[in-house]
Amino acid sequence: MKLKKTCLSALFLLLFLWPGGLLRAQSREGSAFDQSKFVPDIAFILDGSGVARDMADQKYFSLTIPGFSYPFLNQPSSSGLNAHRGMNFNYGELSLYSVVDPYFDLFAVIDLAPESAGLEEAYFTTRKLPYGFKIKAGKFLASFGRVNEQHEHYWDFANRPLIATALFGEDGLNEIGAQVTWVAPTSFFLVFGAEVLNGVNEQSFGTTGFSDPRSSIVIDAVQGPNLYIGFIRSSFDIEDASILFGISNAMGTARNDQGFSSIGGTGEAVNANTDIVGGDLTVKYSLDAVRFVSFQGEYMYRVMNGTEYTRDSLSVVSSPGLDKHNSGFYTQVAAKLDQLWEIGVRCDLLMQNDVSLGGVDQHMPSNLPRYSAMIEYNPTEFSRIRLQFDRDESRYVQASGGWSRQPYTQIILQANLTIGAHGAHAF
Amino acid sequence: MKLSKIIPLLLLCVQTAFTGQLQVVATYGYIGDIVQRIGKGRVEVVVLARGDYNPHIIIPKPSYIAKVRRADLLVINGGQLEIGWLPQIIKQANNGVVQPGERGFLDLSMHVHLIDVPTSVSRELGDVHPEGNPHFFMNPDNIPVVAKAITERLSELDPDNQAFYEANNKELYALWQKNMKVWEEKLKPFKGEKVIEYHKIFDYFLNRFGFIIAGTIEPLPGIPPTTKHIADVEKLIEREKVKFIFQDVYNPQDASSYLSKRLNVKLIVLPHDVGAVKEADNVFSVFDEIIRRITQ
Repeated sequence: MKLKKTCLSALFLLLFLWPGGLLRAQSREGSAFDQSKFVPDIAFILDGSGVARDMADQKYFSLTIPGFSYPFLNQPSSSGLNAHRGMNFNYGELSLYSVVDPYFDLFAVIDLAPESAGLEEAYFTTRKLPYGFKIKAGKFLASFGRVNEQHEHYWDFANRPLIATALFGEDGLNEIGAQVTWVAPTSFFLVFGAEVLNGVNEQSFGTTGFSDPRSSIVIDAVQGPNLYIGFIRSSFDIEDASILFGISNAMGTARNDQGFSSIGGTGEAVNANTDIVGGDLTVKYSLDAVRFVSFQGEYMYRVMNGTEYTRDSLSVVSSPGLDKHNSGFYTQVAAKLDQLWEIGVRCDLLMQNDVSLGGVDQHMPSNLPRYSAMIEYNPTEFSRIRLQFDRDESRYVQASGGWSRQPYTQIILQANLTIGAHGAHAF
Repeated sequence: MKLSKIIPLLLLCVQTAFTGQLQVVATYGYIGDIVQRIGKGRVEVVVLARGDYNPHIIIPKPSYIAKVRRADLLVINGGQLEIGWLPQIIKQANNGVVQPGERGFLDLSMHVHLIDVPTSVSRELGDVHPEGNPHFFMNPDNIPVVAKAITERLSELDPDNQAFYEANNKELYALWQKNMKVWEEKLKPFKGEKVIEYHKIFDYFLNRFGFIIAGTIEPLPGIPPTTKHIADVEKLIEREKVKFIFQDVYNPQDASSYLSKRLNVKLIVLPHDVGAVKEADNVFSVFDEIIRRITQ
């Protein structure tokens, strides 16, 4: 009996205490190659909204902005922001940032939807180039104007300004390429930048070649970089007001195919040169430590010159010269009332919309407005609830004998929350 | 010598030669004043944040980028006080010399002992600082420590003037110790007094001079007071026999003045940095003014 007890005790010791001791030693030595301290800054942003709109989804998804997206009629995507009536899961955004080594920083944003994931941005920047230079390369939001390179959760409104959507699409000008900037050693802020990009954008740039199977029309795909951007930005302060302004220019080829290369049936293609200029102005005036009033406005003007190719149902191909001039702007004013509340109004207007085919004016509707107002509640800097009102009179459907305007009104209740280590925002 | 080391050095020489003086950018007013006192006429100092604004929430003005672009040395408070505004300024300034980790970047919080380091962090607890309370400037004992760190770094970047910087630091140290004696004497009668703060910004000061911190008007750091929390503070003031409410200059004073009037507790608005109030225009007068306002 006693022996049994002793044996049991010994077994107990052997099983629990000794292996335990071993485990403890192992856990110390096991962390010899632990790299958890090198985990990059990780943040996750969740954005969702409830939308009430006086238009059925089916009809909403058939709307277009004529002339701006011509000849291919781009419509609101059903996966875009606040797309559906009712509940929307807009995005889950996973961001990673860390210093790579003394010479580089790396930043990545992974955009997550319920059934898909995509790399929204992934780029590196240099840390120590001399004389005020910096190189950035990878996939990133192009530095054209002001709103394009801002992440969606930093906007003052729940959706992109109309002119930016009309010229660059719902995801903005997001490209693969490289950028170099130079900050001048001046007493006021002055930066020059240049970008060389692939230039694949559904609204203004494209590289796809095309050919008509039954005729001699063969247009090769654009080789190499297709989009060149240059920008200058400057800023100065007057008392408690900061004024930031810039001009941008984007040039590239718009070469796209929509069924033109396929055998049989109708098809369209375009081969044009696109030139877009933009000007932006931001003024932020601090009333005190918390309250401020900010103004932001941007103007963009696009010229497209080239040839449109159309094959009709009788397989007859026509190739008239295409000449487009589109412009628009937005202005918005936001005011931070106290630590919690912010309000804002925005006015969007697409102005010029001249499209001519073979020298014949296509009579596209011009002066297309949208009006927005918002109020947001920020319990902390990590959470935001926003109520936004939009009246959009810029959308049309193609009807017999022309275009038919389809105005709609929508109310968006948006929630945006951030967890983890999220980097500070720029001005 | 490696090329990577030569380039920043060369750049430093070019910039120094260009202006003839070391260009120093300080994030807050108190840092600028200390650098000024050590560098005197031989460094050029630029301060970014306004002293009467909330040091946590500074608008990252693009004009700051131009200032950091030309800096040979960037001196920050650290302890994550600048986390919400400075990182983007540094990133956009394209100045390799002042990147964190370089000799042109000085984080003062690395040289002082931070209090209230949380054992666990969660944003459920508001705007917490994982490294501890970053408002160490409010303990006057930390000024000589910080001044020494600045002196060493200036000497390292500009060895020709090392003796000059060290002499100035010595002078500052002596003057500071003289003032410390006066301040200690004046605050002696207040030892053991209970106070309420709006935000935990005066903790270092209160601990140093023996005040007892009974609570804060903010329910959690960075979260504005709710009616329920104000009712709790009201009970706390009565129960603990709190004598003072210390308020910073930038947060709304509604809750503090309501409690002050209702319970007859003295509300005192105190400067937290150089430039927070008109009278506090340097590191000495910040403490002179704090003590004048408490003792008057």
